[in-house]
Amino acid sequence: MIQEHRELAVDPRFPRQTLVSVLVFCIVWEILSYLAPSLGIPAFAIPSFVRIGQSLLTITPIDVAVTLARVIGALIVSFVLGLALAMAMYSSRSLENYLHPMIRLFMAVPVVSWILFAVLWFRGVEFRIGFVLLAVCGPVFLIDSLDAMRGVPRDLRGMMRSFRPTTLQFFIKLMLPAIVPSIITSWKINLSLAIRVVTIAELVGAVTGIGHQLAVAQELFSVADVFAWTLVLVALLFLLEALVIRIESRLLRWRP
Amino acid sequence: MSSPPPIEVRQLRKVFHQATSGQAVVAIERLDIRIEPREVVAIVGQTGCGKSTFFDLMIGLEAPTEGSIVIGDKTPYGDFDHFRGQIATVFQQDRLLPWRSALDNARLPLELIGLPEEVQRERALTWLKRLGLERFIDAYPHELSGGMRQRVAIARAFVVQPNILLADEAFGHLDEVTAAELRETFLALARECGSTAILITHQLEEAIGVGNRIIVFGKSAKLLADIKVAQWPKSEHAMLREAIQMTLQSNSPDPRLARVS
Ligand SMILES: Nc1ncnc2c1ncn2[C@@H]1O[C@H](COP(=O)(O)OP(=O)(O)O)[C@@H](O)[C@H]1O
Ligand SMILES: [Mg+2]
Repeated sequence: MIQEHRELAVDPRFPRQTLVSVLVFCIVWEILSYLAPSLGIPAFAIPSFVRIGQSLLTITPIDVAVTLARVIGALIVSFVLGLALAMAMYSSRSLENYLHPMIRLFMAVPVVSWILFAVLWFRGVEFRIGFVLLAVCGPVFLIDSLDAMRGVPRDLRGMMRSFRPTTLQFFIKLMLPAIVPSIITSWKINLSLAIRVVTIAELVGAVTGIGHQLAVAQELFSVADVFAWTLVLVALLFLLEALVIRIESRLLRWRP
Repeated sequence: MSSPPPIEVRQLRKVFHQATSGQAVVAIERLDIRIEPREVVAIVGQTGCGKSTFFDLMIGLEAPTEGSIVIGDKTPYGDFDHFRGQIATVFQQDRLLPWRSALDNARLPLELIGLPEEVQRERALTWLKRLGLERFIDAYPHELSGGMRQRVAIARAFVVQPNILLADEAFGHLDEVTAAELRETFLALARECGSTAILITHQLEEAIGVGNRIIVFGKSAKLLADIKVAQWPKSEHAMLREAIQMTLQSNSPDPRLARVS
């Protein structure tokens, strides 16, 4: 029963509840925006939807594109490095014994610390942002891939080895296809992580990107602009997730 | 095709050290066997007597603790790559890759050898057809019955036309009719390929029906009996069966086996 209920709640074919909750939020917001002056709240704090709509019209696509490029670029680099290191660690016990504690340590470091390190260590803005994203997302890809590789059934590994593949063939024909489901899960996790982290990283020193625009909006006390940019970010994340889900259903067609 | 090389097992010993307790498990105590080219051998023994370990050593997945397996003049563990395309195994479970279609599973060993893709497909298709799967080449493993999956696994073993074929209780989990049918097919194909075939089984009927030779393993793969089936007329198969049964139960050779061979 409980299971059924849960499935219903996240099923995209039943957006009724979602619609209702969004609508209620909007109505409450709109009412508050009208009541704000009489409640002693400054008018700019809770802008009406007309005002937010105007802000949305001023969204500059170039900033969205730049942020998107940073996220995708950093995720691809993190993925390739994470996967390569996971393969190396899978192949060598001693390498894993040395590196695993370090990676765990990395994962415990707060994002803010990475940003401060980035500012202290690097000059270039793109380096700083890239470094922060890599430090946050790389370990996730690495640990997830490594765990998934360790989880590939012994039976299948024995079968594969009985046909005497080269090391490269072993990974390409068995290990990588076997861990595709986990890789997709880590992409989903990392996408939302990266979208949220990139904006914080962009607050520090960037002169383009959504994070920078958020900083500008904050300096101008424009809640409407903050709201609009936030909407864009959320929409971006949803779009990217939808893309991953499409790729997922293509790659995992073989599943029962 | 050239004749497969003989298999010489000399003073083979395998000891495992259990990861948790650190205790030593002697899976194979001391084993000496010689298997001639194109022989069809059935190995019987109780669960846990070291049959699968023997196979892992034959395939070269594990190193012997002492002694050796020599095939021709090479060892499957030490000269691992030399045996690419020469030894093929059908396992107890089909062990197909779930993300590959029947055809793509069957051509896997040819991919690893590096044959051109058209050749891979053509050969895999030939074998799948011989195993009666022409209508299912594009099906994924989960869309096939247990028997059909095992047929794909058999096709996968035969595509390379291996010198040595191993089957580890490959038919034990199927219903009797399917198992008998597959066993017949497997043996016919093995003879046609001129391969040496070694089958592990725990069913005595199967062992007597299959081999020109039956090897009986006791605890820790102790060689209890090595039977030439041809020396037993059909009328005495019931007695042979009983004698093997007794041998397995008492973990020592039944005198009736010694009398004949
Ligand atoms: N990797 C391993 N580590 C520790 N012990 C093992 C391992 N593989 C097999 N054994 C032990 O070796 C013995 C023989 O096992 P196995 O060869 O699988 O027997 P069979 O196939 O005849 O049933 C068993 O006692 C088993 O527990
Ligand atoms: Mg076994």
